[in-house]
Amino acid sequence: MEDEKNHTGPLMIALQYNDLFDLDSISAMTASTNTDDAVPKDRAVTFIKAVQIVNERLVEQNKTESLLFEVILIAKECSEEIKMNIVESVKYYGLEIVKIFFCKKEELINTLQLNNVKLFLSTDKDDVYEVLHIGIPAAVLYEQSDDHVLNQLKVIFSGDVIGFSEDSLDSLSDFGFSETQIETFKEAKICMKEFAVLIGQMRRKFGQENSPLCICVLTAWGSTNVCASALKTLREWGLDVDEAFCLAGAPCSPILAVVKPHILWDGGLHNMRDLSAHS
Amino acid sequence: MSLDPVQVMKGQDPMPNTCPSASNGDSQASWDDSKDIHENEGSTKKPKSPKPENAVTIAVSSRVLFRTEKEQKVFEQKGIEEYLRYQVEHENEPFAPGPAFPFVKALETVNNRLRELYPDSEELFDIVLVTYNHAHVGIRLINTINYHNLFIERFCMTGGSSPIGYLKAWHTNLYLSADAEKVQEALAEGIAAATMFMPEKQIEVSETQLRVAFDGDAVLFSDESERIFKAHGLDKFFEHERENENRLLDHGPLKGFLEVLGKLQKKFYAKGHRMDCPIRTYLVTARSAASSGIRALKTLRAWGLEMDEALFLAGAPKGPMLEKIRPHIYFDDQMFHVEGAVEMGAIAAHVPYGIAQKYPHKKSTNAGK
Repeated sequence: MEDEKNHTGPLMIALQYNDLFDLDSISAMTASTNTDDAVPKDRAVTFIKAVQIVNERLVEQNKTESLLFEVILIAKECSEEIKMNIVESVKYYGLEIVKIFFCKKEELINTLQLNNVKLFLSTDKDDVYEVLHIGIPAAVLYEQSDDHVLNQLKVIFSGDVIGFSEDSLDSLSDFGFSETQIETFKEAKICMKEFAVLIGQMRRKFGQENSPLCICVLTAWGSTNVCASALKTLREWGLDVDEAFCLAGAPCSPILAVVKPHILWDGGLHNMRDLSAHS
Repeated sequence: MSLDPVQVMKGQDPMPNTCPSASNGDSQASWDDSKDIHENEGSTKKPKSPKPENAVTIAVSSRVLFRTEKEQKVFEQKGIEEYLRYQVEHENEPFAPGPAFPFVKALETVNNRLRELYPDSEELFDIVLVTYNHAHVGIRLINTINYHNLFIERFCMTGGSSPIGYLKAWHTNLYLSADAEKVQEALAEGIAAATMFMPEKQIEVSETQLRVAFDGDAVLFSDESERIFKAHGLDKFFEHERENENRLLDHGPLKGFLEVLGKLQKKFYAKGHRMDCPIRTYLVTARSAASSGIRALKTLRAWGLEMDEALFLAGAPKGPMLEKIRPHIYFDDQMFHVEGAVEMGAIAAHVPYGIAQKYPHKKSTNAGK
């Protein structure tokens, strides 16, 4: 297991500044002259705090642990004032952000690739889909409606993307998915694997109970066999799953509202039209 | 449970090139090769699951759907890590049927009949497995579902978190569990729920007709009369019932479930299947027909609910009656009656509602109502 430590290193997650900070508060700032900091959004903060807890627990077990989460912030097209405010706010709210990148809109992908980002998180499903399509792992930073404190980082993997085999994924065209969409799912599966392997290593450092990391699989639409396939595949990738859900076409939101994940890896699947309308 | 592990993976659908995994290690090949997944989704043979709000959703826990006593012991004696390891080790051994199994099979039979008569309707039973279990046990549970040819396409394995939130998300009409605490939580949230117990012997139940039996007080009706009886005795109870004959009883936790059963029954009646309706409901109450039973009947009538058979026992033991009826499930609020039923081999479920939970029936006083 020593080798693992050497070539894994930090698990870098990238957030966009408009997901972390309330844009309205930023523009309000620039309008007025007061120096109040930008207000961070609940859902991003709960995510960062949850990540911090995982890191703390990992370090507790091993002071020289190298496989830790690192969160970086990407800010596109910011004025100097806003840049400063972001930096100040990050400090003020004690958010553990390792680096902040200021770049142009077109440079987003480059920035992600250059920095070996293992996961790009966004609340914008279209952004996620675009990035995935290029082969960079991306997932949705999910809405946490109340600011309850979860002392657990919850990650959901899509059982549909992982559970369907290569050939079966092609069959999705019967259901109205386009070629590009199907290509994106295949990309997503590859991306998920890398992330799953890393997070699996992290997860194994904790026991079943009282783990700061909780891994879930949600099969929105494949059969229970697809879900079983996903569970087995993840196990092969070294990731043991804690919670599993199989929906067979039922709407996801009520279930997600109970699961309350931070990270939702849906490979772009849930961006789709209502599949249960298929007859 | 000496089952050939290799045969486990047969599912409901034709699986042309199933190479079931005998060992956990080489599972990749068998899953990737199975074109059945494609056939599953594209084929018109396998029915689609209904939308939760349209269906009558029955949530069952793994401990009542299957027999997991051995595994429970491992959990209690050796802790969770060992328990999960044991489950994974025995992944290809399906569980044996549990107390809720015949009930679930009967629901599927009704569904088949409903689909024949109303092919486009979503008013069907939908069975969801809602379990505290970790997803580690998931593969074994799915294997078992396939082995027994159960049509369960939905589940929530909550890995230790409370299942109650999920029950609501599924619009659950009835929740069956082995854990009285969870059942009570569900009842508190307004979800019909009951605890099930495994009978030592099991009497045979019908394979063509779903039979559901209900106790009256504190199950279909509120525990108002129970309270009077417990506080003031039999005479006061009779007096109270006489005086209030025309005042409807308040509803109890299972009234809603009876209602949805009634709705489905009417669908059969509408197509001329009143005589051979695959759903039959029974009232099995300690009330007496001549007196206190009247109020119960009037209440049911006012609610627009029909029961196929109403059995007023006037205090006689319920066991023998249940043995005759052979329900797939019998709901009672008193553990005493549930135990009596289970002893006779009837499938009974305890509804931990109302005053009887605080003042359980003493075996010595077999007073009638």
